[in-house]
Amino acid sequence: MDYSALIKDYIDDANVHIGAFDAALMALERDGLDRDLIQNTLGSLHTLKGNSGMMGFESLKTYIHQVEGILKAVVEEKLPLEGVMETLLDSANIIRDALSHLEEHPSNHPDLAEGILSLKNAAEGNGKDAGQKTLSLKAYMGSKTDTIKVDFKRLDDLLNMVGELVIFKTRMNQIEERIKPVLASKPLIHELHEGLQLIGKTVSELQEGIMKIRMLPVKVVFSKFPRMVMDIARSQGKQVVLSFEGEDTELDKTVIDELGEPLLHIIRNAIDHGIETPAERINKGKSPEGKIILSASQESNYVIIRVRDDGRGIDPEKIRRKAIERGLSSEDALPGREDLMSFIFMPGFTTKEETSDISGRGIGLDVVSRNISRLNGQTTVESVSGKGSVFTIKLPLSLAIIPALMAESSGEIYAIPMSSVDESVKVKESDIHMVNNREVIRLRDQVLPVVRMNRFFNLGGAKRKKFYLVVVRKAEKRLALAVDGLRGQQEIVIKPLDDTFGKSAGIVGASILGNGKIVLIIDALAFWSGNGLAKDSGAGQQKAPEGERS
Amino acid sequence: MGEINLQASGLAEDILGQGNGGREGELHLVTFNLGEEYGVLINQVQEIIRVGNMTVVPNSPAYMEGVINLRGKILPVLNLRKKLRISDEGITKSSRIVVTEVNGKVLGLLVDSVSHVMKVKGEFVEEAPDEVLEVDTDYITGVCKLPNRLVILLDLEKLLRKEKPAVMEEEEA
Repeated sequence: MDYSALIKDYIDDANVHIGAFDAALMALERDGLDRDLIQNTLGSLHTLKGNSGMMGFESLKTYIHQVEGILKAVVEEKLPLEGVMETLLDSANIIRDALSHLEEHPSNHPDLAEGILSLKNAAEGNGKDAGQKTLSLKAYMGSKTDTIKVDFKRLDDLLNMVGELVIFKTRMNQIEERIKPVLASKPLIHELHEGLQLIGKTVSELQEGIMKIRMLPVKVVFSKFPRMVMDIARSQGKQVVLSFEGEDTELDKTVIDELGEPLLHIIRNAIDHGIETPAERINKGKSPEGKIILSASQESNYVIIRVRDDGRGIDPEKIRRKAIERGLSSEDALPGREDLMSFIFMPGFTTKEETSDISGRGIGLDVVSRNISRLNGQTTVESVSGKGSVFTIKLPLSLAIIPALMAESSGEIYAIPMSSVDESVKVKESDIHMVNNREVIRLRDQVLPVVRMNRFFNLGGAKRKKFYLVVVRKAEKRLALAVDGLRGQQEIVIKPLDDTFGKSAGIVGASILGNGKIVLIIDALAFWSGNGLAKDSGAGQQKAPEGERS
Repeated sequence: MGEINLQASGLAEDILGQGNGGREGELHLVTFNLGEEYGVLINQVQEIIRVGNMTVVPNSPAYMEGVINLRGKILPVLNLRKKLRISDEGITKSSRIVVTEVNGKVLGLLVDSVSHVMKVKGEFVEEAPDEVLEVDTDYITGVCKLPNRLVILLDLEKLLRKEKPAVMEEEEA
């Protein structure tokens, strides 16, 4: 961890504690002995002592320990308060002094040997005050802090307002286009254009700035896991080393907040199903210690989070058998690798014979896939039997503003989040084939099912000779979404839709475009159920669990 | 009974400007037409707007007319005729959207036309007699029996109560 960031945190925290100590001393001097107050103060000092110890400031730690000793003696009436008051007031200043010194020269640890000695004397009742310690004026102010705490709601409101500003800006640009032909004065047009350009630049800087404020490093989440991993591994007689990579990668706080639970399930699964016992590992020629690596990296507008383990991997045959047992697949069906892997994200699916209290009850990975897709992200898994598994989570940097592909269907424009789009192709009606009473398209070496957007949404509209297919993905599965036309990519601000009267399958929210028009945002996951693939589910096709309930 | 006739515009600023706070025991209503006259409490009405560019939300209940852009906010609009199961007349020139706010929820109600802002003494209000009304009485608080006509009082809180969602949300595992 970055040492200077640590020391900054330490100093900020220490200033709060020393402030409390100071305030308590002032009150004691004014009002006389108050045991409760001293007890409270001891709490603050204790924390400060502990933190100082952790930072390696031994001398400061010992000094604070001595101060604690004196205060305890006062509570126990072994020392009269009046006798040590001066010493205590001095000590607060000495601690403050040491802190401001540390702030300026973090590597130069303070030596408080002299102070410790005089405190020892005071504690023994030889209350000879070593002259009043006065601070430099600056030290009384404590250190200036560079961090402020802000209610997250305020940042959220700000981001919303900026989102609206973006919309208005686009609108101004459109008005500019319309005003150009009617405006006679060339210089005026030029000035208007320049002004709007400047506004645009500032708006996007503002947006970026606010997004940055909301970012937190993923280590905030990662750091919750080492202890859990240790405890779970121990309870199963396994040895697991958890390590991090790229833990300083930053993500929007709203995404960070939602990331903990999915990761928890994946890591739990890795320990429970992936990592073998030490004996088993040695047998296989692996080191007795299993490794789990939690990594994060940024790729353009996305953050990729991976959980890698070097355990036994996922046995496709085991999944296949379980899928048949559960009626998800038939004996003679030969689902591809992608299909097999997607089974493990289904509710209630487990290959574990007996359930443990940790995992194996078949809850977990379906929650992962669901939570991540709620964040407009994707979960995929790769596994090599005997070597280990890699779970990959792909998330947009922010929840509020996402890139989307604008697609037209039956005269309406819909926004498809880029996070679920793999590619798009222009096709002819004759490219679509019927297999098992279902429309499919052959795309390079893959046969993908086709879902027509206008049919899914009951929009009507005639068949066209030429149209577009947008290939969308749900975990390991892909399908081709047929739309009439594509209108390019655009950054959109997601606004939730009221759900008082129910949620609409296939719609996750809405966005307002620059011209004031509302576009609906597509939930690609829904195409695997409802009017999409589930209704006429064919052989070997995964039946989406939520399909039957709508 | 302080009835105020509508300004020709039928728009919010003109209507809502007219009535503030009723005396004790008085109901202050905005009334509108759905074949019969209906009323809602004026303090639940934010504004009244003309029907603008509506975006239809697919896979939503039939009574959800769509969503409109209300100054940068997305306002769901409910077709009150369909919701109350009165035969639908479609949108005409006089159609208005009554923007209501109940318990922090903002919802637009599509009505045939807005008619009055009025104050009604409490004693004119009676419980809704089931047999007289041809509409779904679930959302009716009572009936105002005025000398010359009836005004049916709508219970917006009930109307807005979360229904069993059309698409079940998957329960958390």
